[in-house]
Amino acid sequence: MNWKDTLEFARGPFFQVALIVFVGGMAYRLMRVLLLGWSRDRVPSKGSKLGGVVIAYLKGIIIWPFVPWVKNTFSKKPVMYLAGGLFHLGLFVIIFFGTPHMLVWKSLLGLGWSTLPTPIVDWLAAVTLVALATLLINRLVDPVLKLITGPAEVLNWLFVFLPMLTGYTMTHHLLNPYEMIFSLHVLAVDILLIWIPFSRISHFIFYFFSKTIHGAQFGKRAVTP
Amino acid sequence: MSEETIYQHLRREGVTRRDFVKLCGLLAGAMGLNSLPPVKASALPLELAQGSNPADVVARALASKPRLPVLWLEFQDCAGCSEALTRSQSPTLIELVLSKISVEYHETLSAAAGFQLEENKAEIIKNYAGKYLLVVEGAVPLGIEGDYCTIGGRSAKDLLVEAAKGAAAIVATGNCATFGGIPKAKPNPTGAKGVWEVITDKPVVNISGCPAIPEVFTGTLAQFLVFGTLPELDDLNRPKTFYGNTIHDRCLRRPFYEAGKFALTFDDEGARKGWCLYKLGCKGPTTYNACASIKWDAGLSFPVQSGHPCLGCSEPDFWDGGGFYEGQSTPLSKPTLTALGIAAAAGAVVGAGMAGANQAKKKHVATH
Repeated sequence: MNWKDTLEFARGPFFQVALIVFVGGMAYRLMRVLLLGWSRDRVPSKGSKLGGVVIAYLKGIIIWPFVPWVKNTFSKKPVMYLAGGLFHLGLFVIIFFGTPHMLVWKSLLGLGWSTLPTPIVDWLAAVTLVALATLLINRLVDPVLKLITGPAEVLNWLFVFLPMLTGYTMTHHLLNPYEMIFSLHVLAVDILLIWIPFSRISHFIFYFFSKTIHGAQFGKRAVTP
Repeated sequence: MSEETIYQHLRREGVTRRDFVKLCGLLAGAMGLNSLPPVKASALPLELAQGSNPADVVARALASKPRLPVLWLEFQDCAGCSEALTRSQSPTLIELVLSKISVEYHETLSAAAGFQLEENKAEIIKNYAGKYLLVVEGAVPLGIEGDYCTIGGRSAKDLLVEAAKGAAAIVATGNCATFGGIPKAKPNPTGAKGVWEVITDKPVVNISGCPAIPEVFTGTLAQFLVFGTLPELDDLNRPKTFYGNTIHDRCLRRPFYEAGKFALTFDDEGARKGWCLYKLGCKGPTTYNACASIKWDAGLSFPVQSGHPCLGCSEPDFWDGGGFYEGQSTPLSKPTLTALGIAAAAGAVVGAGMAGANQAKKKHVATH
């Protein structure tokens, strides 16, 4: 099997399997979470649930990232806060505004959009890689994080780091032949797709669940932070 | 055919000394010889490598080497590679190489036909065993014992194996002969294969492309003619000199790729301004060939320059490598909505089942 065949396998049948596992796995996780049960809430309503949700999102996504010093998490762990934030921003931009990635979305969803110039995405990719490395070192050094770091946490990190590393190596032609690094990149993404539903990377969707529920609770109790 | 040298043969054919020197310069250029050291370092005998002018080196080789007969076999092909050769950048060079220097058997170009021509081929195979060069154009079908392609009542495989046995070197030209091309495209009804999959006991030089670039073919042939050696090959047996870089690496639209400026349709502003064709499905990044540097029609243009994305025609199975107009990063196959729906439903059912079991267990623990 040469790299051309590997690439065809990674872009074809393996991708197909990975996507099916991803969708099935996420449906499974969603069901498990939804059926955990809802405890009865006897608190009388003091405010708007919807208002609480809106404010929770505004603050969480639009305000706090730009005035981080207000938050305790920032003043106590600035490196982690910055590296974590930049990593998420980088990943978002790369996945949605890198040209080759947009074409994947286009082929899956049937609609495309404008993308960012390669150098911008490229710099963000470099930042993301550095952020990822920083986060790992931090995780291995921090006495508290060390205690809650198991194999799953390291694998989470690895399965996100590999697509990033191979993608960066590929766009810079650091390893040849191109098909090899291209294959490795797509394989890494396929593995990530399979891994996501069964790991805490599923927070890419569950984050919005908890944000909504917390926001609604805050709103109802009129304690919106 | 007497054992006269190439030079003697050319003079007899009416080539002047002046034209001969020009030819030597062209050959040296086609091979990419530009200075003495690489020539001296090559396998060429020292007496031939003397002198600093590459054309001199070629001239000495041609003046001292015997003519090299070429057998050109055509199987599942469209004769497009031969067509491309006859319309190439340096018609004199091609004409000299093909008609005056060597080609003894070519179904499309030979003046003779039928039994006469077949007899001539048999004679060459017998008299020049171990000396002639075999060029193959077109894929070899192995289905129903090779009967999908027969010439003079014999199967392509049969003819290929026979001719390959005594060949000094084998050159496969075009994507069909190298990697199976369109005959091998899914579902490959005739069981077509590239030459190097059929002939495994001898090196086969793959000059892939659809068609192969004439200058690449001639350059490779010229090296064998002059030095008697085959060029250095990559892992797909293609000469590294010509297949060392991707189209993307040498593309004149590359700056637009880096700047994120893309043509989105074939007649939008980007297309008119000559922006990158990646979003229109260009396969340049994974396609190794010399199109972007040698180009076609006397260096006039090549597909990407004239506004069409690269199809990847010098790579194996390019017909099955995804849509020609779909981005290279896109998945080759996608699960159907039904499959995804079933997967989601199955996941939900298993999740609900597990949740139910857990709750039952919890109740059981609570009541006991």
